[in-house]
Amino acid sequence: MSAYITLLTPMTDRACLLHALADLGFGPEKVEVHEGPISLVGYQGDQRAQHAHVVIRRQHIGGASNDLGFVETKTGYQLIVSDYDQRRFGDTWLRELGERYAHHRRVQEERAAEEERRRIAEQRRALVEAQRNAIHERAKKLGYRVEESREGEKVRLVLVKRVYG
Amino acid sequence: MIVNVAARVAKSAANGPGERFVLWVQGCPLACPGCWNPDTWDFSPRHRMTVDELEAEIAAVSDIEGVTFSGGEPFAQAVALAELARRVRRRDLSVLVFTGYEMDELRSPAARALLAETDVLVSGRFRLGERDLLLPLRGSRNQRIHFLTERYRESDVAAEVKMEVHLEPDGRAVLTGFPDGRPDEVVMMMLVPSFAARSRST
Repeated sequence: MSAYITLLTPMTDRACLLHALADLGFGPEKVEVHEGPISLVGYQGDQRAQHAHVVIRRQHIGGASNDLGFVETKTGYQLIVSDYDQRRFGDTWLRELGERYAHHRRVQEERAAEEERRRIAEQRRALVEAQRNAIHERAKKLGYRVEESREGEKVRLVLVKRVYG
Repeated sequence: MIVNVAARVAKSAANGPGERFVLWVQGCPLACPGCWNPDTWDFSPRHRMTVDELEAEIAAVSDIEGVTFSGGEPFAQAVALAELARRVRRRDLSVLVFTGYEMDELRSPAARALLAETDVLVSGRFRLGERDLLLPLRGSRNQRIHFLTERYRESDVAAEVKMEVHLEPDGRAVLTGFPDGRPDEVVMMMLVPSFAARSRST
């Protein structure tokens, strides 16, 4: 079969991410928010190589756990989780978080005033542009030629790799 | 007649020759390990659409040369899809079908009816052990492409492997076609520069 995969809506809004985390049991008292990325700490108290803007310290997760973090990127917040903690905070948890995020994002948009709506629309356009740029860059590295087309605000990127035989 | 639909894309260039309307059906009894679309295995109703509705939707798309049935398992809904295929071919559109069955398993009257309306069939289970990322329109080496009519020949599908990303205005990304690796990982790698950090941490 040919693949059909819908990815979760990227989490670009910090407030909605914090609401979503609160829904899953990580309220404000358990979550640190930093303007710049800070180091994550491992289960032995060691400083990890990874940095994040939104951090849940290991004390709130479990004795053998490492810090959990979300790093801010142009294409949304990205979860940083250790292999050990993936058992609890793996794809299923991330999907659940993504669904809660999408819910809060919808609520936020419904409540938003006109000016705020324009700001959100602008954010969305910037996100699609960032996604587009990221795909172009990676596709090139992976040896694909990219054919791009647009229909309204939708962007389609066809990644083509020539094969023989 | 009702089709249990998993998803559809109005225009894709990565699911067969030219631009095509692609219909992924819901429900597959084969459940091949490593399948790209395990969420399409369950036979519970997902989006129930009539053949009339699907025909109208396809007819409204301009500049396509054909329709592709994927899934899920199209031959699990062969009666309705044979009717849909018959109607779209009357509109001079071609029909390409992906199936997990081997050709010699498709002997029932319903299966024969769908085969009779199919221009290109890609057949065979997806076998993880025979996975090959450089095969056009296939995921594993055991799978076969059958040209059932004169409409296409091997050179129409042979030279390129394609995957396709659709970026929706709300930031949703849909990946289709034949990904160079696990599809969710491929898209994550492409969209998120820090993705690799996720599995390096211990």
